[in-house]
Amino acid sequence: MTVTTLAKPDYDVLNVLALKKMADATAIAAVTGMPAGDVEGRLASLSGGGLAVVAGGAALPTDEAEPALAATAAEVYAPVRADGDVLALVEKFETTNAQFLAAMSSWQQVEVGGRKVTNDHSDAAYDEKVITKIERLVGRLEPLIGALAGHDARFSLYSTRFATALEAIDTGDHDLVSAPTRDSVHNVWFEFHEDLLRTLGRERAE
Amino acid sequence: MSYTRAFTDDGQVDVDELGGKGSGLVRMTRDGLRVPPGYVITTAACHVYLDRRALPDGLEDELRDRLAALETTTGKSFGTGPEPLLLSVRSGAPVSMPGMMDTVLNLGLSRDAAVALAERSSDTRFMADLVARFHTMYSEIVLGALDDRPAVDALVAQASPGDDPADVYDRIWAAAEAALDDELSESVPSTPWDQLVHAVEAVFRSWNTRRARTYRDHHGIAHDMGTAVVVQSMVFGNLDDTSGSGVAFTRDPVTGEPGLYGEYLAHSQGEDVVAGVRTPDRVQDALPPDLLAELERTGAELEARHGDVLDIEFTVEHGVLYFLQVRSAKRTPEAAVRIAADLLADGTASAARALGLVTADQLRQAQRPGFDPDALAAARDDGQVLLTGIGACPGQVSGELVLDPDRARDRADAGASVVLGRSVTSPADLHGMIAAAGIVTATGGSTSHAAVVARALGTACVVGAAALEIDDAARTVRIGDRTLSEGEEVSLDGGSGELFALALPTTTPAAANEAMDTLLAAAAESAGSEVLARVTLPVDVDTARAAGATGVVTAIDDVLAASGDLNRLVETLLEKGLNGVGAFSEVRDAIAEQLAPLLVAAREKGVRDVDVRAIDLLADESRELLQQTAVTTRHPELALPLGVPDLIRAQREGLVRAAGSADYTGRLRLAVRHVSDPSEARALAGLDDGADAPGVGTYLTSPRAVLAAEELAAYSDGVWLEVRALQAAMFGIPARQFLTAEPLDSYIARGLLAVDPRHELDPVVVRLLRDVPTGTGVRLSGTVADPVAATLHGLGFRRFAVDLPEVRPLMLGLGRAALAG
Repeated sequence: MTVTTLAKPDYDVLNVLALKKMADATAIAAVTGMPAGDVEGRLASLSGGGLAVVAGGAALPTDEAEPALAATAAEVYAPVRADGDVLALVEKFETTNAQFLAAMSSWQQVEVGGRKVTNDHSDAAYDEKVITKIERLVGRLEPLIGALAGHDARFSLYSTRFATALEAIDTGDHDLVSAPTRDSVHNVWFEFHEDLLRTLGRERAE
Repeated sequence: MSYTRAFTDDGQVDVDELGGKGSGLVRMTRDGLRVPPGYVITTAACHVYLDRRALPDGLEDELRDRLAALETTTGKSFGTGPEPLLLSVRSGAPVSMPGMMDTVLNLGLSRDAAVALAERSSDTRFMADLVARFHTMYSEIVLGALDDRPAVDALVAQASPGDDPADVYDRIWAAAEAALDDELSESVPSTPWDQLVHAVEAVFRSWNTRRARTYRDHHGIAHDMGTAVVVQSMVFGNLDDTSGSGVAFTRDPVTGEPGLYGEYLAHSQGEDVVAGVRTPDRVQDALPPDLLAELERTGAELEARHGDVLDIEFTVEHGVLYFLQVRSAKRTPEAAVRIAADLLADGTASAARALGLVTADQLRQAQRPGFDPDALAAARDDGQVLLTGIGACPGQVSGELVLDPDRARDRADAGASVVLGRSVTSPADLHGMIAAAGIVTATGGSTSHAAVVARALGTACVVGAAALEIDDAARTVRIGDRTLSEGEEVSLDGGSGELFALALPTTTPAAANEAMDTLLAAAAESAGSEVLARVTLPVDVDTARAAGATGVVTAIDDVLAASGDLNRLVETLLEKGLNGVGAFSEVRDAIAEQLAPLLVAAREKGVRDVDVRAIDLLADESRELLQQTAVTTRHPELALPLGVPDLIRAQREGLVRAAGSADYTGRLRLAVRHVSDPSEARALAGLDDGADAPGVGTYLTSPRAVLAAEELAAYSDGVWLEVRALQAAMFGIPARQFLTAEPLDSYIARGLLAVDPRHELDPVVVRLLRDVPTGTGVRLSGTVADPVAATLHGLGFRRFAVDLPEVRPLMLGLGRAALAG
């Protein structure tokens, strides 16, 4: 079986599509930094290549998308995979990721008499502590994002997305901590994690 | 002295001057609680600091005097032995806000003090831990360090209680300084005095961090308010066997059961209990009797004074009980209901206070249906448990097992309850997770991405179900020696982590009901309102009654859809003419047959107020179900409320027969939607459908109808105002878009609508409602937010109809609104 490898901008568009599963050109443009018009063109050519389906303005990846992305990443990101600095930072990421998910959990649940109970967000001081912790943990990603952006500038957009979400959280939009339907800190992190795994050619463990 | 106040000093407790934390500690001290002594540096000092970037003249002298006084009171000395005085430094603004400097603990650990502390506690290991913690905390909070310090942690782990304290101190301090120098090229001052002054300055500086400024801008808090600083002596529970630390609740926060509930660990610091390093004992077993009695007595007094359950953090130092923090206790939803009911019953809390102790969401969770306990026990006995993973988000649900997120969404869209099974979850699975009623994954712990997403969605979830082997190609899952195919029914318990074969029946938990009834009776009494529940099936009537509904509403289309008659009737309407007996006799017969069981249930349960909505062929929410386009193309006159009076006659006749066969003698009415003109109402009132025909009322769904409400009411036997339809009309958004999260969630997230029409009343609608006669019933759909209930109650409305699960939360909200107003 031959697997197509992709031109770089096509990879970027399809990568986002595979992360989001369904997205329109505006949404993809927002997280790739490409003009929406360009994204539409790329989607059309991906669709022509059988890697995406465009219906009613929204696009979906086909089953052929994942192998094509994996093959392309293996080529394009070979230097990343060989970069000792990146790999050392990735080691650290594992710890930070675990701390981040634990912080997310303490945002959602509090311990009451030994039982986890949904955080009803009535304790502002508690919530603010968790947000501070989350903000610090996001800060710890910066060196890794920076190192990746040294190879491929698109990674720096994750910093921008984190900053946007955190800023909105500070103005009181607490939904952006973990809402799955928005560009929340957890969603950005989740996508970054997935993107990182694809970039490195690794499998998700959980 | 002008910039500081000891907790014990006289004077007004002014939050603007002392900050929130400072005022709290002064109040606790005045209430007679033994609080570790300390003082507050007032916001006035902060004002000066922010103005000239330096501490006010004379403040340092004041601090020295305060310190000397603390040394006298505590019998300890700052920065030296034999019993060293350690301090905590905390920020305390008048309003709590993010971005402010948090706490620095254990300040005052000079080399001398550290050595003395190790000797006093005969525990070098304890001192090593304290020094490392202090250095890390000071580095993080005052200097902004982030890095972990594995080298320092390793040194602490190596330290033994009997090691030479000076050596250990030197090694740990050097390692911590090296780590900090590596990271920030900074240093922690080694003299306690400098540590204290720099920490105080750091608190003042943190007033102007980016996060704090953003928060103040957004919440309209003045930038010149400034913060206070709390400096407090620390007490230690790990000095000897007559010391210890613990946490106590004035009632059990899990069940709500009365009586002191808490844990105590002798010879320990509070962190040991939190970190789970050692297992604490029950306060009743571990505290000396005199201390237990003091704790119980103080807890009861505090609870009576606050009218709420409290969480008390305490430390015993050399046999003396100190109160570190007292605050309102976090609790489970079940406990919240029970506690509020108990405090109301024993007179500790007024009705207003008690109703304020339970949120509508807690009530919703406490009444959430779960697996029938008998069926659950039987399922366990019969080997229905397929696997036990890690419960990540509680909830008991049944549904068909689906192994792919796309198919999960398709099945959910088709109305199925779906349990999504995955090996691992990726961001691309989100749509499937959103659609699912339950999620089970083979990998991951309670803090995996899947768990975080599930909790954000409130979806029952089990993770780390290692026994789950999914075969994507075959669409089967193997669990041990069993194989399940996609589509088979399973049940999932997101609390216990169990996955069961087959669907388990659910019931409303009985445990919370008695307490709920007590509380809701108080709410109902205050609210003075009728709350009717929307029902479709006879069994719903029982549930409605149990929830305290004063009557029920139903809709003929809902009942006929549930009975399976609706399709046939719509087909008949499409085939036949509207004259003579034709289609309408079938409508009448179906109503007579299908409404009767509902009315039997009403009679049996003592419900004497049944309001029936007439078939609405225009309802946007059911346009597909009713084949609206086809029906109204075939019979355009059916698109208007009184286009075909015979349809109304058929429904009234059907109801008369249903009531007759059910022997139902209570109030029964038929209400017609979309009426907007007094002439329509007059014509409805004039319909002669027989002497015993039920009265005809109206549902107001348009702004025009609302503006004419008073006139319409004059001709109608009961008027309902339908909030969702009205909001949809005001926004010009089809009502069916109000039933789902999307597209409105994303749209509102983009900031394109100032009001979420599904959860908030639009101000324009509120303005319209001001002129509506208060005798009008208000029909609400979906979850009713507390502010909506309060606004409607404030406008004078006293008759409501809601979805079945919302009866209790609405009653609570109305009661609260009544008592607040």
